[in-house]
Amino acid sequence: MKRKILDCLMILICFILQTTLFKSLAFASIAPNILLIYTVSMGFMQGKKEGLLVGFFSGLLIDVFYGDLFGFYALIYMYMGYFSGFFCKIYFDEDIKVPMLLVAGNDLLYSFFVYFTRFMLRGRINLLSYFQSVIMPELVYTVLITIILYRIFYAINHRLQEKEMKGKRSSWLRG
Amino acid sequence: MKKKRKFTIKSKHLIVGMTIFCIGLIIITLSSPFVTDPIRNAAGFVIRPFQNGINTVGNWLTDKQSGFKSVEDLSDENKTLQAKIDELTTQNNELVQNQYELDRLQELYNLDKEYSEYNKVAAQIISKDPGNWYNVFVINRGSDDGLAVDMNVIAGSGLVGIVTEVGANWATVRSIIDDESNVSSMIATTSDTCIVTGDLTLIDQGMINFSQLTDKDNVVQEGDKLVTSNVSEKFLTGILIGYINQVTTDSNNLTKSGTLTPAVDFKHLREVLVITDLKQQKTE
Repeated sequence: MKRKILDCLMILICFILQTTLFKSLAFASIAPNILLIYTVSMGFMQGKKEGLLVGFFSGLLIDVFYGDLFGFYALIYMYMGYFSGFFCKIYFDEDIKVPMLLVAGNDLLYSFFVYFTRFMLRGRINLLSYFQSVIMPELVYTVLITIILYRIFYAINHRLQEKEMKGKRSSWLRG
Repeated sequence: MKKKRKFTIKSKHLIVGMTIFCIGLIIITLSSPFVTDPIRNAAGFVIRPFQNGINTVGNWLTDKQSGFKSVEDLSDENKTLQAKIDELTTQNNELVQNQYELDRLQELYNLDKEYSEYNKVAAQIISKDPGNWYNVFVINRGSDDGLAVDMNVIAGSGLVGIVTEVGANWATVRSIIDDESNVSSMIATTSDTCIVTGDLTLIDQGMINFSQLTDKDNVVQEGDKLVTSNVSEKFLTGILIGYINQVTTDSNNLTKSGTLTPAVDFKHLREVLVITDLKQQKTE
């Protein structure tokens, strides 16, 4: 229960920060994708199901406020969380290389998906210039921010996990 | 009991179910885009105040960032600005004289000043699109302040965009630099029409595209003013869009296209004015 409330809160905080604070800190009109980082980290730390749900609600939030197609971003984010969940098996304390690679891979796939569905189909076929001006900067910026944010997410998750473990153990003892 | 059942749902099945759900949602919104309006409105009530508050922090940070400019830069800028002020003052004097003349002539012709007197509402930008693919932002005024879809948004003297969605206390604006934006416009001097299209790859250079300009006499040059055209359905006539940067003749030898610099500085945009007169009402 606690985890669900926390997840909802974190998604909301990430969304609000992404649309306000990080937009004004954008370099060359490119801002990092924090919701993506959160979705990927949750999938990586908690598994497929958690990643899937976190991704779904993050995407839904974007759809509600900015998307013109309801469910479009929910779908993308959901699959990102799900696929990160496959790497849960190799989740290991404080290792930052895997989540960074995961974020990079997911961000690349996300960008390409958005480009192909929303831009190329409108006749914007100049992939290379989009790659240079949007996809690559976003990738680099997001991965850099991951280094900081992942530690925060990790710390929160770790603490929660410890509490959950403690609760379980004590109920065990009582029973 | 409930908890037990939840545990038995495998993530495989969950993702299939959710995928179908999402695709269903997409199809529903494709067929009738207004189904989701109540949800958006309700959610807006909860989130917008937060965005409003945190955005002030963001603005403060940007201020700090720009505060790091070196003194040399500033003094240089000061000099150029001073020169510009002198230039503008002379220009202004001329314009004031012209204005008198115009007033006099207008009185003679009994023309009403239709375009100079729009009703406007000032609004602040509270948040922007979370991705980097679109240039859509949200302002802190909505239907409570008389805003409606398709109203024009300006800042300073130039066109910013158009209202695409309205909630009670917020409205979404698509800026003209957005990749999906198309504005019917014309050259201010010759009234030749063209289409101004946003281009994501040019945003960083602060430019947008225009195309389909018919200019038989080859009079259009760099620096010419582009304004919204009179044949546009949604944009009011004569709002400044920007100045032409570069013109090239298309391969069909009939039309021209090129880039222009918008009159509005989109990177540092914070306050905008929404014109609450709709073009459709005006003409009726």
